[in-house]
Amino acid sequence: MKTIASVSFTALLVACSDGGATPAGSDDGTPSDAAVEGGVATESMEAGSNGTLNIYSARHYDSDKLMYEAFEDQTGIRVRFREAGANQLLETMRAEGENSPADLIIASDAGALWRFKDAGLTQPLPEGEFEDLIPERLVEPGRQWVGLARRIRGVAYDPERISPDQVDEWQDLADPSLEGEICVRSSTNIYNLSLMAEMIEKWGAEEAQSWANAVVANMARTPQGGDTDQVEAVAAGLCSVAITNHYYWVRMTQSGSDATREAAAATQIAFPSFGEGEGIHVNITGVAMAANAQNKDEAMEFVDYLLSADGQHRLVDETKEIPVIDDVTWPQGLGAIPEFEDSDTPLDTFGERQSEAQRIYDEAGWN
Amino acid sequence: MQAIKASSFHLPRLNPVALITLAAASLIGAPVAIAIFTGVIGGGGDAWLHIVSTQLLGYTMTTLAVIGLTAALILLFAVPTAWFISLNEFPGRGFFEWALILPLAAPGYVLAYAWADAADVAGPIQSALRDITGLSARDYWFPSVYSIPGLSFVMASALFPYAYLTARAAFSNLSLCTMEAARSLGASPRRLFLNVALPAARPAIFAGLALALMETAADYGAASYLGVQTLSVGIFRAWHSFSEPAVAARLAVLLILIAFGLQFIERVARGRGGIQQTATRWRTPRRQKLGPVAGWGVAIGCMMVLMLSFVIPVSRLIWVSAETGLGQGQIVRPFLNSLTLALAGSAFAFVLALTITIGARQNRFSQFIGRFAAGAGYAAPGIVLALGALFILSWTGFSVAGPAALIFLVWIYASRFTAAGAEPLNAAFSRAPASLGNAARSLGASRFQRLVRVDLPVAMSGASAAAIILFVETLKELPATLMLRPFNWDTLAVQAFAYASDERLAAATLPSLLITAAGLGPVVLLSLQLTRAGQSRAAG
Repeated sequence: MKTIASVSFTALLVACSDGGATPAGSDDGTPSDAAVEGGVATESMEAGSNGTLNIYSARHYDSDKLMYEAFEDQTGIRVRFREAGANQLLETMRAEGENSPADLIIASDAGALWRFKDAGLTQPLPEGEFEDLIPERLVEPGRQWVGLARRIRGVAYDPERISPDQVDEWQDLADPSLEGEICVRSSTNIYNLSLMAEMIEKWGAEEAQSWANAVVANMARTPQGGDTDQVEAVAAGLCSVAITNHYYWVRMTQSGSDATREAAAATQIAFPSFGEGEGIHVNITGVAMAANAQNKDEAMEFVDYLLSADGQHRLVDETKEIPVIDDVTWPQGLGAIPEFEDSDTPLDTFGERQSEAQRIYDEAGWN
Repeated sequence: MQAIKASSFHLPRLNPVALITLAAASLIGAPVAIAIFTGVIGGGGDAWLHIVSTQLLGYTMTTLAVIGLTAALILLFAVPTAWFISLNEFPGRGFFEWALILPLAAPGYVLAYAWADAADVAGPIQSALRDITGLSARDYWFPSVYSIPGLSFVMASALFPYAYLTARAAFSNLSLCTMEAARSLGASPRRLFLNVALPAARPAIFAGLALALMETAADYGAASYLGVQTLSVGIFRAWHSFSEPAVAARLAVLLILIAFGLQFIERVARGRGGIQQTATRWRTPRRQKLGPVAGWGVAIGCMMVLMLSFVIPVSRLIWVSAETGLGQGQIVRPFLNSLTLALAGSAFAFVLALTITIGARQNRFSQFIGRFAAGAGYAAPGIVLALGALFILSWTGFSVAGPAALIFLVWIYASRFTAAGAEPLNAAFSRAPASLGNAARSLGASRFQRLVRVDLPVAMSGASAAAIILFVETLKELPATLMLRPFNWDTLAVQAFAYASDERLAAATLPSLLITAAGLGPVVLLSLQLTRAGQSRAAG
């Protein structure tokens, strides 16, 4: 009895709330009023009139919701999304098995996308225009995912204590002169894992290990907090070098909080290379086709949209990532980062060397 | 208790009440049972061996350390405040009486965000310290929130009101005769407290404490944000980095064992202690007025507890929110989603809690099975229950995309929190004279009549407290909601967590504050109701 009562209560809740989930939602395929009155194709289409697209996204940006709405308006395809951490989405998909409704997976960091691929949760994207639009490195060789935006792992440093040539290469951070000067987050974080993975690829495991050991010896405190906390610690004077992704620093320069903007202003951003001519650590946010995708055409339309000027703007304006399409203007604040050359390391290695990277950090006592 | 002892423990008679209780217990216990079953039969392979050999001890010791430290802090926050508020008159007593329940409205993870920001090296506290002293950030030591003590402090802040409430009720219910007798025998206030009041109130305090500690053990949001490697965090990590739900389930078994250990300790500590309730217990002893020095000292102590546990962290969030302005994000729909889910979840949990509480009056089997299931659900982290739900979803062919997920979510809430709702209902029975049921029996009332005319009304006197606690707990729930909510469904808790883990504290403040605000109304209601009940009792 009680169960039945509660189940029907819940069903009622669902019924009440479902309608509001998408703007101007209509599932029955009737064209919007505007289209009927005008008698011509309109720019704004009724969401759902051209099918549905289910997105599993590891991003949590308000601008993404506006992006989905803009895509719905343009195409009439209704977007349903689920946002959670990449690992959580992965495990959810695994548990859902063949019943998974996911069509597209959007995740930050190539290492995260690799986990989906490795778990057999992706399938090759159909061939398309995107391959001509973006650099070859940003498309997985088997087209298991495609890069949408770039993100760089670098350092923010205190220019009053540190000279730029002390953070020119990652190797510099291992120098004993930086003892007690480095702030960095926990090694279990995917950004650090991917960075280490590229070091192993570039230098070999042994050198990567001694780098990790030396950086642990140079730490100002045990790893804690996120990237932003490290930059703020530099500004507060606790350390003078913070390892951070570029967009955290850029967002700080654009913050609504005076204290945060001042903290960013007290630091400089730099992108250390893996050595002379070896390039820097450029990672991606990317999209993959789910293994059991039911709406592949709609999914490809969305991928094309994400690589259009409008899609790129909406994707990176709030996040402060770097567009992958050359002639797209960069979001505000991004002009402050130094020029950089993309690395040539295959992005899949970030995933392939993930567990090795973790072992090296564990060995070094980098919690 | 009398009624239970009267019926000896033998195989349950298949009376309807026992059957209904069994059904309720199965509903509550099913997600835990399924998750554990999968863990045990699924095996863990190398990942399990790896965790056993490298992490298990650390996870367990960290969890036990957090539980121990949190327990000490909760007792420190709750018992002295409850004592002075119940038995003494001092400046601001009426205010603190209800205000000290307020921290119940703020989830542990929200307090973690606030303190991590406020007490960080770049935060306002340390910045002010440097400005005042002229020291640099490298010249002094400052306690870190990202630590076992930091997590314990945050959890104690969020959960001490449970123990405060039970302690206050116990102190207020102290028999006037006992107190007067002790006083007339020349007992000093200190001896009165240590030798008379504390032993009498011990069972109640431990009941509240056990509830708070089980919640602490199951916490994921605060521990993961502060980077403390508890079993709960380990469960997530086992699942995520090893992709072994079975290993996660095995760790969950350990966590559940710890929770049962807590319950066991509570029962032992309760032991034969506790005062024999007689009719005079309703008369609260007159409050003694403290002298000016002692009075203001106690007031300052109460104020410090309130400031540290609630006012300072919440003010910090309000400050950050005001400083950075509102984002462009939707907030109304997540707010409504949170309320809807909390209402549905707490309603279902309430019905289950009432069922097992009433059922426990019938026979020992019902009592055992109800307590066991509710205890297991309460001890299991939301993520484990959600895991169980996902297994069921995939077996039955439903997908989390559909409305089925909402039903499962409401079910998980009920499974998770029924124990918290059953506690106030149980307390209602312990307040009622034990002779009530016997009187009804001697008047020839049938089992069913006693149930409807005695047990149900008695239980309902604790109903509003149970309903409010369930609502607030459900509102704050994070991990299961994160996993099971359907498409396009954000709740405040999910938003706050997503923003905070994305290092956008400013964006996380508004949903965090709204959860707190939404919980604050019911908590104030609960607080006023309990306070008024105490006053009318004192007057009567």
